Amino acid sequence: MNVQEIEQELAHLRAGAVEALAATSDVKALEEWRIEFLGKKSRLTQVSRQMGGLSAEERPIVGSLLNQLRGQLQEAFDARLSELEKAALAARFAAEQIDVTLPGRKTKRGAMHPITRVIEEIEDVFLGMGFEIAEGPEIETDEYNFERLNLPKDHPARDMQDTFYLTENLLLRTHTSPMQVRTMERMCPSAPVKVIVPGRVYRRDEDDATHSHAFNQIEGLVVDKGIRMSDLKGVLEQFAKAVFGPNQAVRLRPSFFPFTEPSAEVDVLCVNCGGKGCRVCKDTGWIEILGAGMVHPNVLDWAGYDSKIYSGFAFGMGAERIAMLKYGIEDIRQLYQNDLRLLSQFARTLV
Amino acid sequence: MKVSYLWLCEVVNITGVSPDELAERLTRGGLTVDGVAPRVKGVSGVVVGEVVACEQHPNADRLRVCQVNVGQDELLTIVCGAPNVSAGQKVPVAVVGANLPGGKIGKAKLRGIESQGMLCSASEIGLEVKLLPKEQTEGLYILPSDTIVGADVADLLQLNDVVLDIDLTPNRSDCLSIRGLAYEIAALYGRPIRFEPPKRAVTGEGSPVHIEIATDLCSRYDAQVLSGLNDVASPLWMQMRLLTMGVRPINATVDITNYVMLEWGQPLHAFDFDEVRQETIVVRQAHNGEKLVTLDGEERSLTQDMIVISDPDRAIGLAGVMGGENTEVTQKTNRVVLESAAFDAPSVRRTGQRLGLRSEAQQRFEKGIDVVAVRAALNRATELYQQICGASIVGDVASTARTEEPAAESRMVAFSPSRCRELLGAEIADETMQDVFSRLGFHISTSNFSGSDREWDVAVPTRRPDITREADLVEEIARLVGYDEIPSTLPEGATTTGTRTLRQKIHQTTRHILLGAGMTEVFTYSFTHPSQLDRMRLPEDAEYRRMIPIAMPLSDERTVMRTHMLPSLAQIGEYNLSHGNLGGQVFELARVYRPKSLPLTEQPIEETMWAGLWFGEYPVQLGQRPRAFDFYDAKGSIEVWLSAFGLGHRAAFRKTNVPYLHPGRSAEVVVDDIRIGQVGEIYPETAEEMGVAGAVYAEFHLDAIESLLNLRYHVQPLPRFPASLRDLAVVVDQNVAVGDLLYAAKEELSSGTESLLESCNVFDVYRGKGIPESHQSVAFSFIYRATDRTLTDEEVSHLESRVLARWQREFAAVLRS
Ligand SMILES: [Zn+2]
Repeated sequence: MNVQEIEQELAHLRAGAVEALAATSDVKALEEWRIEFLGKKSRLTQVSRQMGGLSAEERPIVGSLLNQLRGQLQEAFDARLSELEKAALAARFAAEQIDVTLPGRKTKRGAMHPITRVIEEIEDVFLGMGFEIAEGPEIETDEYNFERLNLPKDHPARDMQDTFYLTENLLLRTHTSPMQVRTMERMCPSAPVKVIVPGRVYRRDEDDATHSHAFNQIEGLVVDKGIRMSDLKGVLEQFAKAVFGPNQAVRLRPSFFPFTEPSAEVDVLCVNCGGKGCRVCKDTGWIEILGAGMVHPNVLDWAGYDSKIYSGFAFGMGAERIAMLKYGIEDIRQLYQNDLRLLSQFARTLV
Repeated sequence: MKVSYLWLCEVVNITGVSPDELAERLTRGGLTVDGVAPRVKGVSGVVVGEVVACEQHPNADRLRVCQVNVGQDELLTIVCGAPNVSAGQKVPVAVVGANLPGGKIGKAKLRGIESQGMLCSASEIGLEVKLLPKEQTEGLYILPSDTIVGADVADLLQLNDVVLDIDLTPNRSDCLSIRGLAYEIAALYGRPIRFEPPKRAVTGEGSPVHIEIATDLCSRYDAQVLSGLNDVASPLWMQMRLLTMGVRPINATVDITNYVMLEWGQPLHAFDFDEVRQETIVVRQAHNGEKLVTLDGEERSLTQDMIVISDPDRAIGLAGVMGGENTEVTQKTNRVVLESAAFDAPSVRRTGQRLGLRSEAQQRFEKGIDVVAVRAALNRATELYQQICGASIVGDVASTARTEEPAAESRMVAFSPSRCRELLGAEIADETMQDVFSRLGFHISTSNFSGSDREWDVAVPTRRPDITREADLVEEIARLVGYDEIPSTLPEGATTTGTRTLRQKIHQTTRHILLGAGMTEVFTYSFTHPSQLDRMRLPEDAEYRRMIPIAMPLSDERTVMRTHMLPSLAQIGEYNLSHGNLGGQVFELARVYRPKSLPLTEQPIEETMWAGLWFGEYPVQLGQRPRAFDFYDAKGSIEVWLSAFGLGHRAAFRKTNVPYLHPGRSAEVVVDDIRIGQVGEIYPETAEEMGVAGAVYAEFHLDAIESLLNLRYHVQPLPRFPASLRDLAVVVDQNVAVGDLLYAAKEELSSGTESLLESCNVFDVYRGKGIPESHQSVAFSFIYRATDRTLTDEEVSHLESRVLARWQREFAAVLRS
């Protein structure tokens, strides 16, 4: 064979190999192709064995042609292999595909009751301001629920809170305020006293959309030297901003509680309209949210803090009322009905 | 309290202040105005008319055709259907074009006759018919015969008045009167008051009535005897003011006492003086068991702590509460004795409460009246009796006081302007405070002018019984300057840390763990009914049956304080199942109330529990068959909770037997021999009756776990040598508890010097095909490990054979091949 013939042969070989390569459909067929065209028994190998019959001048030319073709075929093989592997992987992924829209396996988180959410949130606000949390008995004595709070027997202000009595002297606390006295007694003579008291209280009211015979109150008390009414306003402002949003403001209105003097009703900007006026706030822009005042000197003196030296402020709010305002619940009874369709909405956090 | 705006305008200069503005100012000053409403809305063009003639309508039995003089040139022809219409009457006439609350009046043809307007009833012109006597509300509203024809009825009847509804706090008894409100408004606006006490010349003629005060509960008693009272109706202006303020007009004798009470805040009472025996009034405490028939016809049984007005023979009235029938003023009454007195507030309140009475007079006495107004109000009433009833004065006022000293007009209260500024945290100038006190009518005499710590003596008039100490004056300053003037600051004292107590952390953690375990929190009431315990099959002498009764429960279903959480939670389960919820897992952290003794003599134990209920269907997950919540769902949550407190390994679930739980499916949970709670399927019959068939209940004593907690913890070091994992399956009788097998295995392998068993868990329990009848196959996975070497197969096999031998011995267990 001369160079020309070899050249022809190789061109023929290349055309056949390229055609066969394109026809390979999987890795196995490709391997067969490799054996056929690049293996020890391939035509290419046979051709290279015939190099011995060539002249010294022809040999490098043919060697170069052979190497060139081997390189080309090897390259084509690699490319095809990569192509086929990709296709195989794609086929595998297609076969392994799952429906990602099906639900995951889980234990659904339960929902915290909105009353607890509100209480915990408020607790955290006041813990941050250095208040401790106290709890107290729901079944109180007349002495602590009324008398020590400057509400003697036969005082008309007792009508402000209809009371469930158990005996002549034991009753269901009508507010968390008895814990003002109990806390001061426990702490006396140390100061400052800074405490909040969440807890269940009872009023002899028929249940309706806005009244409940049982509800939760959060009491607050600060006693120290030099406590001012402006401090009350400032602390409540912090509270309002934390619970109802940074744009909140508080407004104090004169009122009366036997155990504070001066006393105030405290309004926050309407949580519904932000102060513009709406149905919720009866177009006033404000919503009454708690009662507060400077601790009455009698209450301080009787609990062991000399009112000439110490002063203090106290406040009390209803957790249910705040929950209703915050979450747009219109009937307080729903909070005690415990319909899971309502409660499960509170599985979400951070609202 | 309903208050007439027009009346206020008469006694204090509020020119230019609209009712709405006044309401806002009062509210911001501490007198909350709940409502401002026109007394009657939309009455105009109604005039006084005289029915000149009245004839039967030719075409209608029930109608009359009236000729009515309304002060115009011609009489109006008006068809009227009222049964009480007759000639000579003066009535309100809505002429054509007039407006009434019910609409506009036009010409109308009634059965062929044109009617030029309408004769009006009380309700048609918007009067408070609920407060009027029946005869004035049925048919036309008849006006007095001296009323001027053609006069505007809206003016005449003060229909254009505006009613302020003030929600008074109990300390402001002074504002239970027009006089008190006038002083308050005068102070708020710095305007003058027009309220003159009536002048009354003393004649020196003695009073026929002899008064004796025989109790400390009455500090002052004034009386005026009057004779020749005409039994007349009170004038329209008075009736209208009473109506506007929500008081029922009756007759002049009664109306005058009510009117003066509204005006002065001082309750008065009139006795028929001829019925007062020996012309003597004794104010004394009642005898126990003494009887008195009060004006409402009820016979009252009195007690010693009540004050009675009496003559030498008998009680004739309950002081400050209600008069006696025996001295009631009637049409036949010739002479009356009019009482104006100061009674002890708590005593009046107690008496009213004891007898279930709550009169306007009583409400004023119990909150405190103004001693200075006692005489003034009596003089004012006397003046009105003379003017309206034509009464004659019989002698001067008879007056008796408990003490010789004349009643002081004011009391001195020490006040320090600098302390006031300190307490409010507001820079309010001395001059501003002086101005506030002067507007209030409080006079300042300075006791110490030197230095900055001046103290003032502030003379507070008796009309303000609520102000007795400095703090009260500070509030007056703050509310009149305005609470808005108080800045916002934060307390300046020592910094404190706020942390939760261990108990509070236990409660909070419990909530969060149970939420994470998928349970939803509920809130239930603490009141229940004893019959709830019957359904729980509790024996008669069960501790739980010792429930604290509520003295006067509001509802028949909620009469006692709960001792058990099951009924509360079952109600939630029942409610949800019957409202379309298929099931749920709920918990509550709440208290149960256990009396130390019954009847209750001291505060009971209030124990905090967490209780859970798993009811109805477990939420279906993909690929799972629908099933009900069961014991193991409950136990799983409980185990998560126990583990969170480090009690997972220390807690044992032991079979238990309580009346309200399924005896084969309930367990008590014990930690270090302390029973902390229980869990179980509710007894089938109980669950059925409570509407939560198949539900599982659990309860835990949170107060009990505090002492069990180990609050220090150090980590276990990571293992240095590999573990050997072996599975082991045995066949045992189906009544053998897996927990017992586990316990025995652990005990067996921890008995040596070194513990080579790292953990042992059950992973399969199987009954059925391939397993002998009434047997079960239980499969365990064991993890063995030594701390100092890799265990050999021989060592592990030896350990395994020890476990198997123990199981064989104790439970007749056979290795499953
Ligand atoms: Zn609003």
